[in-house]
Amino acid sequence: MTRPLVELIDIEKHFGGIRAVDRVSLDLWPGEVVGVLGHNGAGKSCLMRILSGAMTPSAGEIRVNGSPASFSSPNDARAAGIETIYQTLALADHLDAAANLFLGRELKTRFGNLDDARMLAEARTVLARLNPNFKNLRDPVSSLSGGQRQVIAIARAIYFDTKILIMDEPTAALGPSETAMVADLIRQLRDEGIGIFLVSHDMHDVFELCDRVVVMNKGRLVGAHAIHEVSKDDVLSLIVKGELPADWSARNLMAEAAQ
Amino acid sequence: MTLASRPAAMSARRSRAAAFQFLPDAAKLHRLSALATLFLLILGFALASPAFFSVNNGLTILLQTSVIGLLGIGMTMVIITGGIDLSVGSVLALSGVASGMAIKAGVPVGPGMAFGVAVGAACGALNGLIVTRMRIPPFVATLGMMLMARGLALQLTGAAPISQLGEAFGRLGNGALFRIVEMRPNGFPKVIFPGIPYPAIVLLIVAIAAAYLLRRRQIGRHIYATGSNEEAARLSGVRTDRAKLYAYAMSGALAGLAGIVLMSRLVTAQPSEGVMYELDAIAAAVIGGASLSGGVGTVPGTMIGAFIIGILRNGLNMAGVSAFIQQIVIGAVVIAAVWIDHIRNRP
Ligand SMILES: Nc1ncnc2c1ncn2[C@@H]1O[C@H](COP(=O)(O)OP(=O)(O)OP(=O)(O)O)[C@@H](O)[C@H]1O
Ligand SMILES: [Mg+2]
Repeated sequence: MTRPLVELIDIEKHFGGIRAVDRVSLDLWPGEVVGVLGHNGAGKSCLMRILSGAMTPSAGEIRVNGSPASFSSPNDARAAGIETIYQTLALADHLDAAANLFLGRELKTRFGNLDDARMLAEARTVLARLNPNFKNLRDPVSSLSGGQRQVIAIARAIYFDTKILIMDEPTAALGPSETAMVADLIRQLRDEGIGIFLVSHDMHDVFELCDRVVVMNKGRLVGAHAIHEVSKDDVLSLIVKGELPADWSARNLMAEAAQ
Repeated sequence: MTLASRPAAMSARRSRAAAFQFLPDAAKLHRLSALATLFLLILGFALASPAFFSVNNGLTILLQTSVIGLLGIGMTMVIITGGIDLSVGSVLALSGVASGMAIKAGVPVGPGMAFGVAVGAACGALNGLIVTRMRIPPFVATLGMMLMARGLALQLTGAAPISQLGEAFGRLGNGALFRIVEMRPNGFPKVIFPGIPYPAIVLLIVAIAAAYLLRRRQIGRHIYATGSNEEAARLSGVRTDRAKLYAYAMSGALAGLAGIVLMSRLVTAQPSEGVMYELDAIAAAVIGGASLSGGVGTVPGTMIGAFIIGILRNGLNMAGVSAFIQQIVIGAVVIAAVWIDHIRNRP
């Protein structure tokens, strides 16, 4: 049996008195899409930022392929194959799409100069895969639409050799056709064996794409279920109240019993 | 749309895109207007005083501008990271003094000058470390360095200039490339061609190197990214602290180089030289299009800005405007430049 790609064990993050993440344990397997849900401020982004090296946990352990890892910067996590689409997108406004796509990992010529021509060509290819209408690659990203900016952030995460993909509300600014494109992309990446954490508020997307859902409430993990065990109402109850409905039993078992 | 009309529409769109390329964007527009200002200044001063447009005065302007330009290039790098370096005037003095003292102590001129530049770089690196490690705002950190470097320069020299540094020390500031001097029969030399002053050559080389660094090298891109959005740059794997440290160290080194050029010009190491030069450097950068909120700025722009400041100072001098009035004018120009920057950045 294969090992989980990544295991988060008893992760905690405190801000003064606030427990943004409170003893959360979670794992991710190859070719699996795990939906991470929760109310605003539940701690989803904090947990994801800890995994992507952007935030150091107050306590807990991260294991990648079974061996303990500690990420002191996003570069460490990237080196371990963890790519992140941040909720804030993390784009440098004055740089163009290609410069942002390769930021921190610039392509260089033999003499160590920036290879802007090659970066532009590569950017054109990978962006076209996500949005065929993406033409203004040379403009500073501050002048692009919210959806175009989001596409750049997504492209940046999938361009490189990714094993674990963290998507923190990746479709928040996208139109329906772009959202569908990202859904296709997620399925495609999953089939390639990449593990994906998908943070989303969109119940429809989650039930469409995810194999498992985990729900956070006030920093704690209140539920982790295979997607066919739960209904949307169950998940909603977990998000809002932090517990399943009193009369809950697994959806798929109920269906079997009814037959 | 029919299929037949499609290629036509596409080529129309393409040619429109090409046309847009010729239309200047905001940054280019800013640089064009700065260039226009520069020409207006030259025109105005030339009309006001005939001596302004002479070869000799041209050389004087070139020398003044080379110091402002060197400081301005370093300042531009720091401003692009979203910081500011208020210490360059004092670091200039300390570097010149350090170099003068080394040469007095018997160090050859070349290594002595290199030592001065190294002292400047060290001051800049210290600025960078204070900003990145101690998380002190750049304004405060470099203000502290401004006092410390000036104090050290004055303390080391007892506030007295170091003179008699030898003819070789003065060559960088006073010499020129391709200067043709003819000995007259009466024993007096006659300058046939004044040549290109060494300080101008130094400035040109530094400007080209800095522009290359900012545009073509990874560290340059990271400097822009850091100033544009520091958190985003960090999340993208840019070592923002390193980019900042680099910019401050460069600013210090170039302040040191400017100090060597200036002291060489005077053939004296003056601990009280360079007071308020940081304002000229900031003005040059901002007039040239650098934004104090970070992420924006170019070396060519700063060069134009440096010439505007240099010509403004020189022209006011030539026109017999008092030093006090000059201060008022330059102060107003600095505020105006920052104001324009502010307007430009309003969404
Ligand atoms: N840098 C920080 N300093 C202090 N508190 C923080 C910081 N970052 C997050 N928090 C707090 O941690 C809690 C969890 O925030 P987080 O961003 O993880 O929520 P979230 O689940 O992603 O919410 P949303 O759905 O709105 O994105 C919040 O109460 C927030 O105020
Ligand atoms: Mg969030």
